Amino acid sequence: MNTDTIYPKVREIIADVLAFDVDEIQRDGSLVDDYSAESIDFLDLVYQLEREFKIKIPRGMIEQEARRGVGDEDFEEHGRLTKKGLEHLKEYLSEVPKDRFTPRMQVSLIPTLFTPETFCKIVLREMEGGGQAASD
Amino acid sequence: MFHFVDQILELDPGRHALGIKRVTSGDTFVRPNAGGVATLLSCIIGEALGQLGAWSVMVGKDFTVRPVAGVVGEVAITGEAAVGDSVLLDTTIDSVTDDAVFYHATASVDGATVLRLENTLGPLLPMEQFNDPNEMRERLARIQQSGDSAGDLQTGEGTAAPFDLSFDEILSFESCKEAAAVRTLSGSEAFLKDHFPRKPVLPLSLLLESLLQLGQKLLEDDGSLYVPTGAQKVKMSRFVEPGSSLVAKVQVIERNAENALLNFRCEVDGGRVCVGEAEYSTVAWGSS
Repeated sequence: MNTDTIYPKVREIIADVLAFDVDEIQRDGSLVDDYSAESIDFLDLVYQLEREFKIKIPRGMIEQEARRGVGDEDFEEHGRLTKKGLEHLKEYLSEVPKDRFTPRMQVSLIPTLFTPETFCKIVLREMEGGGQAASD
Repeated sequence: MFHFVDQILELDPGRHALGIKRVTSGDTFVRPNAGGVATLLSCIIGEALGQLGAWSVMVGKDFTVRPVAGVVGEVAITGEAAVGDSVLLDTTIDSVTDDAVFYHATASVDGATVLRLENTLGPLLPMEQFNDPNEMRERLARIQQSGDSAGDLQTGEGTAAPFDLSFDEILSFESCKEAAAVRTLSGSEAFLKDHFPRKPVLPLSLLLESLLQLGQKLLEDDGSLYVPTGAQKVKMSRFVEPGSSLVAKVQVIERNAENALLNFRCEVDGGRVCVGEAEYSTVAWGSS
């Protein structure tokens, strides 16, 4: 199984949660910048994905996993990503177009990078055994 | 008073709760229905179910957090609760995480379901920002005492200043198609004292009731009769605080001889506050 398999359903759920037509949802679109997702939408989305795919998505897992293998002080400084943190995040969120990452971006803005493909990856990881697969 | 659980019959922290709301003539939110019978506003029954679920979650989390309104996947209005009725509230928590509660709930009168909530999500926020945790503990102790009339019973307090559900001004109105209206929260509204003492905000239940009524006015403009039968995909994304001017837009999506579907969107300063869909029927409950 790969993300292509689950993308149609994930896309449908995202469109439903964000009140867009399915056709308007692009796989690499930014949920925040392109579809105006707010924090309540992320809660809703995660819940709907959990129900649909019968999985549990640990809260904050994207950021936690992006930090894996990097010490806190190497990842961020005063709430902003360090150069190393940024590189690590780019590698982890490999599906996000590179031009959306900005130097010293605020850690709190990481969710603005999330795309439908990001959620496909999360769902797939949890379906295949959770965080273990994410470190592969 | 904006507390609607008069008595808790059973409470399993973080899992389930059973309670009662008694509908009295002194209730602020009682209105005559189309037949002239004084009934409790449907959205207040929904509010009562949410408040009951909140008690279960707050106890389970030792009053460190409280749920607030977030998403209601579906509200199904299937009946009414009249003055003199006791509404049995039954809220089941599907799951609780660190940041949200997910639940479904049913309200019934004499064994007949009058309202259901499905796929409901409430973000959990720090209790201290909204209420005094000790006051909440004391209130819970009161309503857990069977037959304690000093609980959340409405004792006529609300009769002095019933909440006006209408908007301040209709901005546009295209018969049976769409309408826009504005309402400014003045800060003097009675419900703000309880919702919430430390952070007064417009309750989703009252906003939804206002929207259902605005939609009904739009649908009935040509002389047809519709009753609200529910709402779906209702999402509250921001708090509406005193001084905020809320602009609501309702639009008819479908309308035929039996049913109608509207969508609504509310904004404050151009930012999304609440969206959802409202459903109506030309046939009243129980008469089909």
